[in-house]
Amino acid sequence: MINIIAILMFFISFFGLITSHSMIKSIVFTVLMESAVILFFLSLGFQSGIIPPIGVNLENLEHVADPLPQALMITAIIIGVAVTTIKITILMSFFRKFKTTDWDEARILSHHHEEDENNND
Amino acid sequence: MLIYLVIAPILFAVLLYLFPTSKISKSIVIVAQALLVAAAFVLFYQSRTNEISLNIGDYGGFLGITLAVDQLSAIFLILTVVIFFALTIYNIGENNSKFFWFLLFLLEGTLIGLFLTRDIFNIFVLAEVTTVLGAIFLMYHRIRRSMYDGLVYLMVNVIVMQFYLFGIGFLYMLTGVLDMDQSALVIATTLDNSQLTLPFALIKTAIAAKCSLLPLMTFLPKVHSIPDAPSSVGTILSCLQVKAGIYLFLRFRHIFQGIDASSFFLILGIITAVFGIILALGQTNIKSILAYSTIAQVGLIVIGLSLEGTYSYIGSLYHVFSHAIAKATLFLSAGIIMRVYDTLEMSKIKGVLKEIPVVGFVTILAILSMTGAPLFSGNISKYFMMSEANFIIYPIIILINLGTITVFIKYATILFGKMPAVTEEEIDEAKATGVLQEDRDNIERTGFFAKAEAIILRIDIFKEIAVVLLAILCLLGGIFGTELIGLLFHYDVVIRFADIAEKAIIFVCSWGAGYFIYRFAVKKNASLKFIGHLDLNFRTICVSIGGFFALTLLVVGVVLS
Repeated sequence: MINIIAILMFFISFFGLITSHSMIKSIVFTVLMESAVILFFLSLGFQSGIIPPIGVNLENLEHVADPLPQALMITAIIIGVAVTTIKITILMSFFRKFKTTDWDEARILSHHHEEDENNND
Repeated sequence: MLIYLVIAPILFAVLLYLFPTSKISKSIVIVAQALLVAAAFVLFYQSRTNEISLNIGDYGGFLGITLAVDQLSAIFLILTVVIFFALTIYNIGENNSKFFWFLLFLLEGTLIGLFLTRDIFNIFVLAEVTTVLGAIFLMYHRIRRSMYDGLVYLMVNVIVMQFYLFGIGFLYMLTGVLDMDQSALVIATTLDNSQLTLPFALIKTAIAAKCSLLPLMTFLPKVHSIPDAPSSVGTILSCLQVKAGIYLFLRFRHIFQGIDASSFFLILGIITAVFGIILALGQTNIKSILAYSTIAQVGLIVIGLSLEGTYSYIGSLYHVFSHAIAKATLFLSAGIIMRVYDTLEMSKIKGVLKEIPVVGFVTILAILSMTGAPLFSGNISKYFMMSEANFIIYPIIILINLGTITVFIKYATILFGKMPAVTEEEIDEAKATGVLQEDRDNIERTGFFAKAEAIILRIDIFKEIAVVLLAILCLLGGIFGTELIGLLFHYDVVIRFADIAEKAIIFVCSWGAGYFIYRFAVKKNASLKFIGHLDLNFRTICVSIGGFFALTLLVVGVVLS
């Protein structure tokens, strides 16, 4: 059940990336995609009635959850935070220069800017 | 030993950043690079007799991350250290900040890690780190023109890596291991092709974007050729990061060995090569011509890898090598040309051979290697790639090479002619708009305006040494081609003299034909220029990622099963 939700979430946020005009929304949708993948990984290790692999009562390994997906996802979350920070940093300096967060406007503006600078050279 | 190859550059980068010693650090940097090259060669030599591997944490079995050097990763490892060594020499004379060296060594460490690791999740981590470092490196000069392209580069790479991670999730669900060899084993013994369709499509979408196959090919060359980014970053992205895509392509082909999608990738490779050539012909900027020609060559490599047979496999991998060296030579010489002429526009660059003879000569050597002239490494790789091609693929490869030759005839026009004199009006205009006074980081004003103001051109001797060394490598790779292949692949290859003569005749004819095509069809062709400046916006790139995913799913799920 959870993994179906994760798959749906992944493709819905991908659809959002295709349709959104705003750079901020696009960044939010990429974060949503990451969350969907994290949800999917976490659903891999989930079974009802199992215990976490810490503490006591670990003699019977059959009832212990697989710790690997969690370990992987902690790494993925950290990477996601770092990448999102850099994306937002770039977006902020872009906004200061061009005063827009619309993909199409941004493209036109940055290219016009390029042509202007080329003419000046 | 293995782990130090990854850790040492990263630690060194951090130390260099924390304790910058301006005078000594340059010699330290070059010594460190030389040590890395030596370590890589020692490892390569050891890995010839037995495979070296290291299980980090000593968990044994298939737990923990394994670093290993086998034949494939050794080739990419050596390529990485050689290119970075050349980049270090290239940049040593320049007054770069400590941040530059920090980024360079960090990128080297992560790229080496990417080629050594056997853990498919670790590949995700290292690929994300190289993407982020690349994006920061692109904006090193802090000129905001590169912001838009940098953001698109980062966003698209992050999105495709999410596809990759999702694919790994499915693989882990099915196999329960993350080690490459183990998962290949589990997939081969227990799993059915129909279960693998979704992870295959997800992972292949990411890999196709990394090596910029057909629908995903427009955004990478634009990023490689951002005018204000340092030439070194264009070289790293175009020569190594795209090749990392090829490396992953081969690794995952081994993992999904049950799914035979080689004909699908053969067609994709052909279309990619053709479109890469058409787009390259439409460029007016020297760095973008080089960047788009990389796409065409990647298409060629994918064609070679999709053909069956040992010779074509060896030829394609050798082409990875020879193309990277030649392209690094061209990219770095384009950096020198940019410094001297102060522009990247082809129309303003004329007479390179006369103004900067060393760079002009090196450019000629690299062009000959790229187009597969006899005696150069490009010739050896293309020879083996074609030696097992059937009667349909053989002419296609010759036609692609003809296209490459046409592209480089266009590129070679910058070598000849006379450097245009700058007019009084242009100087006045430049002074009025502030271009002459503008003080960009590390960009000295030379070339046009230097001539006008009677300043003598100064070219960094280290930059010339770097490009000359790379050009010599192109030549050595051709002359000692069979020996090098024997060393790299443990495989004795034979080159028949009659075939070489035949190839030489084809090569000369191709140059003639290429010149005519350039003269009558390409020069001043407005529609080509229009196609060349075709530029997909972000949403269209996302649609093409989705389209590629859907296509792969369809082909693997319906056609091949």
